[in-house]
Amino acid sequence: MKFIPRKPREGINVSDTHPLVEAGTLVVGLTAIFIVIALALIFIVEIALYFVPVEKEADFFADWLPEDLATVAPNDDRLRETQLLVDRLALHWGDAPYEFRVEIDDSDVANAMALPGGLIIVTQGLLDQVESENELAFVLGHELGHFKNRDHLRALGRGIVLSLFFSVATGNDVSNLSIKVTDLALRGFSREQESDADEFGLALVYTHYGHVDEASRLFERWDEDDRSLLDIVSYLSTHPATADRIEELEELALRENWPVEGSVTVLKW
Amino acid sequence: MDGNTVENFSLFMNFGFPLLLLLLAYFIGSMIERRHFRNIRRREDDNVGFPVVSFDTMPDDWNVSDSTMVSGSIVVSLDYFKRVIAGLRSLVGGRVKTYEPLLDRARREALLRMTESARKQGYDAVFNVRLETSRLANSRGDGKGIAGVEMLAFGTAVKFASRFARA
Repeated sequence: MKFIPRKPREGINVSDTHPLVEAGTLVVGLTAIFIVIALALIFIVEIALYFVPVEKEADFFADWLPEDLATVAPNDDRLRETQLLVDRLALHWGDAPYEFRVEIDDSDVANAMALPGGLIIVTQGLLDQVESENELAFVLGHELGHFKNRDHLRALGRGIVLSLFFSVATGNDVSNLSIKVTDLALRGFSREQESDADEFGLALVYTHYGHVDEASRLFERWDEDDRSLLDIVSYLSTHPATADRIEELEELALRENWPVEGSVTVLKW
Repeated sequence: MDGNTVENFSLFMNFGFPLLLLLLAYFIGSMIERRHFRNIRRREDDNVGFPVVSFDTMPDDWNVSDSTMVSGSIVVSLDYFKRVIAGLRSLVGGRVKTYEPLLDRARREALLRMTESARKQGYDAVFNVRLETSRLANSRGDGKGIAGVEMLAFGTAVKFASRFARA
């Protein structure tokens, strides 16, 4: 046998894939899988939530508050008045299964939200903008409409799954789930859900005051006044565009023969 | 410090810092790897005529006067980038491509060290060459972490009695 000196051959035991390509493929691929799983989970949870009886939901979330909510002092005048207004409006919803709780979020952007367990959150920004009780009543009635149609469960699945993933990713205790209001606020309701909630809200306002004057005044002001654009971005991100909405409300009042003029109740603060 | 600063800081520590470490590990790690491969190729060129074979018995026509065992070993460790990418790879399986150059370097470096040691001692060839690996656990104590892998090359180095024997 003859010995022939040879250099070791390259490229047999080492693949020529660039490490960054390998990293990119893995990261992109796994992220895609992760997102698909997350979306599937959210979908399943949200479907499942609609099968949870209302009483169970109300009971389970009776004392629940989102983790990152900056609430005002419990003796706040506005909080008390808003809570009273919600209670009075809820009287006209015959068999409301919730005990509605109002919390004021210490935020400058105007927004209102319906959250699980009959929790209604309104922001300081919204309360700064409303000029009459009727305006506020419609916003609150609209949120009550979301409860009526159980729309508020929509974002809950996302909130649960997102915070679950977040706890896993950061190594926090999974059993100690904390749903953040920021996760829930990012939900988008469909136009139909919003219109249904508007209809319910306006009906409540009519039943309560006997007319729908000033119900949509807040949105009209927003529509006219571009300066408050920044203030309303938040509300609009979770609610339909103002001009269309005002029109729909007017049509509704006309169709139902609800008087569009009446005595407006002033705010008590 | 207000809540926002604390939150940003913890966000940075949770996500930004590992990412920074990952990039740093990639750049330093690939620089070291490139340099090591250059060095290996140069030394392989230097040793190209020196017989290193894996026969377990000496070829009949080798007429040797002296023999000894020679060995070369290297301990290599993963960089953070390779480990993270391999961790992702382990989720789905397949070739762990980031580890392959690492082990290739280790094998070739161990063989080179063995060869160089044989030449330095005046031997003419090495036969019955074997490669062994062993895992070195790190100091974490639970035995789960891996500090590195040792690659050991060893064989029997021989001195030829006459130059004719190396036909």
